[in-house]
Amino acid sequence: MNGWLSFERDLMEQMPLILTGLQDTLLLAVTISITGLLLGIVVFYLTLSRSAVMRYCIKAYLSFFIGMPLIVLLFLMYYGLPQWGIRLSPFTVALIGFTLNVAAYNAAYLTTAFNGLNKTEIEAARAQGFSSLQVFRLITLPQVLRLSVPALTNQVIANLKDTSVAFLIQYTEFFARVQELASTNFQFFKAYVFAALVYLAIVSVIVIVARWIERRIVIPGISPASPIASP
Amino acid sequence: MSLIQIHDLVKRYDAQTVLNGINLEVSEGDLQVIMGPSGCGKSTLLRCLNRLVEPTSGSILFRGKNIMDPGVDVRALRQSIGFVFQQFALYRHLNVMDNITLALRKLKHMSKSEAEERALLELNRFNMSAHRDKYPSQLSGGQMQRVALARALAMDPAVVVLDEPTSALDPVLSREVGDLIRQLHHDRITMVCVTHDLTLARHISDELVFMDKGIIMAKGSIDSLSREHQNPQVRSFFGRESGSK
Repeated sequence: MNGWLSFERDLMEQMPLILTGLQDTLLLAVTISITGLLLGIVVFYLTLSRSAVMRYCIKAYLSFFIGMPLIVLLFLMYYGLPQWGIRLSPFTVALIGFTLNVAAYNAAYLTTAFNGLNKTEIEAARAQGFSSLQVFRLITLPQVLRLSVPALTNQVIANLKDTSVAFLIQYTEFFARVQELASTNFQFFKAYVFAALVYLAIVSVIVIVARWIERRIVIPGISPASPIASP
Repeated sequence: MSLIQIHDLVKRYDAQTVLNGINLEVSEGDLQVIMGPSGCGKSTLLRCLNRLVEPTSGSILFRGKNIMDPGVDVRALRQSIGFVFQQFALYRHLNVMDNITLALRKLKHMSKSEAEERALLELNRFNMSAHRDKYPSQLSGGQMQRVALARALAMDPAVVVLDEPTSALDPVLSREVGDLIRQLHHDRITMVCVTHDLTLARHISDELVFMDKGIIMAKGSIDSLSREHQNPQVRSFFGRESGSK
């Protein structure tokens, strides 16, 4: 009992720092989810290019960033680039590294959804006189995004959880603050259970929001194949 | 006056010749029916008309101008040719009204109310205005084809091309679509209809063009082609339905 009381006391003492860490975690997770989605859409658009060279370049991009562990990319940028005179802040490294990685996954999800689309709709839009960009913006993307809501949501959840990796490049996010708490009172089990519960609570909120979005955008005849993961 | 003049049109995909010297004219107010077995090049011919497929050689004059000329505005050309697809090709994420108004707003730059007014005119023509808020998946095949026709006509095209308009429909709905095509022909709307459905062809037109292996093999009425044509292949194609007239 005393152990829990002392943990609670230490937790309350460190709460301002932990909340700052949580704020930084959410800032990074939200930012990379948005930038990763936007870049993912651009990459997906380029996968539809008529240029074989462009498609080859995009394929190489996807293979590289999906194939390479994120931690290697972050270390490369944070510890490797200074040897070439390029110094970036931990947040900038995390933002760039995560965005490139998340965009590759999102582009792959969107491409998978696109493969399930009825291509005569695209031909019909071209026959009506729409430009390639209009066809993408007005016909392809609205359908592909709807079909990809579960996959994109699962990616947002993964983004939140993966932000904990950023503490390895000195980005003092939530998990880094919990580590500090644990190392001050050596109550590792309680500290990590606390961290797990906080992550679980945030993931639950993401899932609730995603299901609300999914209900809002539901259209008869267009339903995603896979469900949103439950926490 | 000829709206479309096709001269020596050839389309090749590598070694395969899909169209092998097509010559055809379509005049204003015409309903040109093109028949032929599957894979004879009918749909490719339609797609050449609006350059969804780029011809290999030959020329297509649309209102006297060669559509293959480098300066041709292909998107403007496509807006002048209403295309109705075999599988309807309605946009699944848009309701009936938006399916029709999308191009009016984005390509003809009409306001929302103008576009909806125009769309309602077409929906009324096809008795579909009660379905304006439904999505394609909530419509029957016949209703989808009506919306596809309304969408094509709303753009006020010079010609409507129909690619196998009844192939995805049962006989009753096919008859309905045939009636609609006759009605449009009666309204002096120029149409080119590709089909391998003899019943539809009989229903909508007295004269037709028969294509096979990328060439036009015969022109005339179904009766004369089935009985009197010198080529036994043509007689056999049209003769398969001789008892069902």
